[in-house]
Amino acid sequence: MIFEIADVIISGLINGSVYALMAVGLTLIYGVSKAFNFAYGSFYSLGGYIAFLLFGLSFINSYFLVFLLAAPILLLFGFFVEKALVAPLRKRDDWEIKVMMITLGLALLLDNAYQVIFGARMKSLPPFLGGAFEAGDFYLSHQDVGIFFLSIGGILLFRWFLNNTRTGMSVRAVAQNPAGAQIVGIPKEFVFAATFAISTVMVGMGGILLAQKYFITPMGGWDILVKAWVITAFGGMGSIRGGLYAAFIVGMLESFVGWYFGMTWTLIVLFAVLLTTLAVRPQGLMGKWG
Amino acid sequence: MMDHKRITMMLAGIWAIVAVLPLFFGGTDFIMHILIMCLIWSVVASCWDLIMGFAGIFSFGQVAFFVIGSYTSAIVSARFGIPPVFAVFIAGGFTALVGILVGLPCLKLKGAYIALVTFAVHMILEPVLKGDIGQAIGTGGTRGLLSIDPMTLFGYTFTTASPIPYFYLFFLVAVACSVIILLVIRSHWGTAFLALKDSQEFATCLGVSAFKYKLMVFALTSFLTGMMGGFYAHYVGMLSTRMLGIDLFVTLMVILVIGGVGKFPGAIIGAFITIAINELLSPLGPYRPITMGALVVILVLVLPDGIVGLFEKLFSGSRRLSPKGH
Repeated sequence: MIFEIADVIISGLINGSVYALMAVGLTLIYGVSKAFNFAYGSFYSLGGYIAFLLFGLSFINSYFLVFLLAAPILLLFGFFVEKALVAPLRKRDDWEIKVMMITLGLALLLDNAYQVIFGARMKSLPPFLGGAFEAGDFYLSHQDVGIFFLSIGGILLFRWFLNNTRTGMSVRAVAQNPAGAQIVGIPKEFVFAATFAISTVMVGMGGILLAQKYFITPMGGWDILVKAWVITAFGGMGSIRGGLYAAFIVGMLESFVGWYFGMTWTLIVLFAVLLTTLAVRPQGLMGKWG
Repeated sequence: MMDHKRITMMLAGIWAIVAVLPLFFGGTDFIMHILIMCLIWSVVASCWDLIMGFAGIFSFGQVAFFVIGSYTSAIVSARFGIPPVFAVFIAGGFTALVGILVGLPCLKLKGAYIALVTFAVHMILEPVLKGDIGQAIGTGGTRGLLSIDPMTLFGYTFTTASPIPYFYLFFLVAVACSVIILLVIRSHWGTAFLALKDSQEFATCLGVSAFKYKLMVFALTSFLTGMMGGFYAHYVGMLSTRMLGIDLFVTLMVILVIGGVGKFPGAIIGAFITIAINELLSPLGPYRPITMGALVVILVLVLPDGIVGLFEKLFSGSRRLSPKGH
């Protein structure tokens, strides 16, 4: 019993850490540019498929190389998508709804492209680390620990980027006051594209990390989209700290509900919690209106 | 904003053309089936347009409401022996109730949050229908419902074998729904929404209750959508959660994009064009959804106001007073 609960808590922590990485990416786009990315889940699968392809290459034999190569690919992809699809819509009055539509179309395009290229069957990635800590009934794989620390590391790296680099500071400036940022000469358009690109990297990395535990499927991103979304709204849209707390709460909630009631209940319970939170506190845990 | 007279004229024109279509295609059951589907989706898309384009609510639960309505009607008619003609209205009522329940917490939220909550309704509907709860109500779980009673009216049973009566049944329903939507747009609701969209703060100060109007439009569109779902269920005779896949959702979105968001009769034209394109693309097999996705992306960029917007630009661009009118 006690070990079972420990397992549940560990799995909640690990999922929570990856969710945090992905939710921070989603909340970042919303916080900075108010754009809403429906294709976020497809970018998650994209990360998994890129890693799968890279492992097919003969000279790739470690995750280090995969991360090193996948990050710039995802970065360029995100940048290009923003410049080509989202940026042209921004000057319209009703651009918010148009962005939702265009990213939804992109999601359908990508998901079915995966299905055609890779087939509907699940793909798996080799484990990141073998072995496990074992003590009696207690079991904790090295892989899980690695995933946890990599996700946390990714978030810390992102925090460092926001606080200490010039681009990061301009991202924060645009999030706080787009017009003011433009007046002082910050290239707003570039910042929008850059945040979109960074968020693509974050969710793609999350995809690579989680694909080792679960699998990569063409439609697998939708679940992730909804979860990242629930976390973002739960924590407060545009609030990175709120997203972090919410990600761990959701990760824990999910693993406890899954363990106690069964996996089919997780989405339903998540939704109930979200609705209750929004009914009491419409801006989420730490969000601000606006 | 198009004036109401022009909307009415366009609507009359569209329905006049659609009414005579069976003269040309009546012999081919396959084409009649497609036309019936066009009528069904034209209503659902028009409702979505009313919510999203006119009321400015980012609701993504339209397909969910449609599925809720279709399942309700099928279950109610099978379990309690209620004739399908009444069951569809019960389905509409039930869906409206669900719509209000979703709308109550949701409409106090801001744009993107509403999109999230309504889309989450869509996402959790599948596990609910497939799971224990669904099976207890009688959704048939993963298998779905396979034999739903056909529609009967005054002792006459509609069958898919003779599609022309069915076509005109759906035609009348679609015309009725579009007239209701037209009346809403023309009434003070329409004016209130226009005011709310232009400046929510100012309109609220003038005493326009955003919440009340939004909830009313939410209830109305979910009623119509759920009722249409009921008609659909009795027409096709079987239901499964496959409808909740992203394909149908995007098809509806293509309809809106082609027709133009907030350009009311546009959604009806969009439905006919989109369903036709969808059928024409079916030889592409697995490449069809990819093409549909690409179509959304291209159309949003190239034709942001849809066909109706394009017409407006072509025919009345010079007469407009303000260069950037709605």
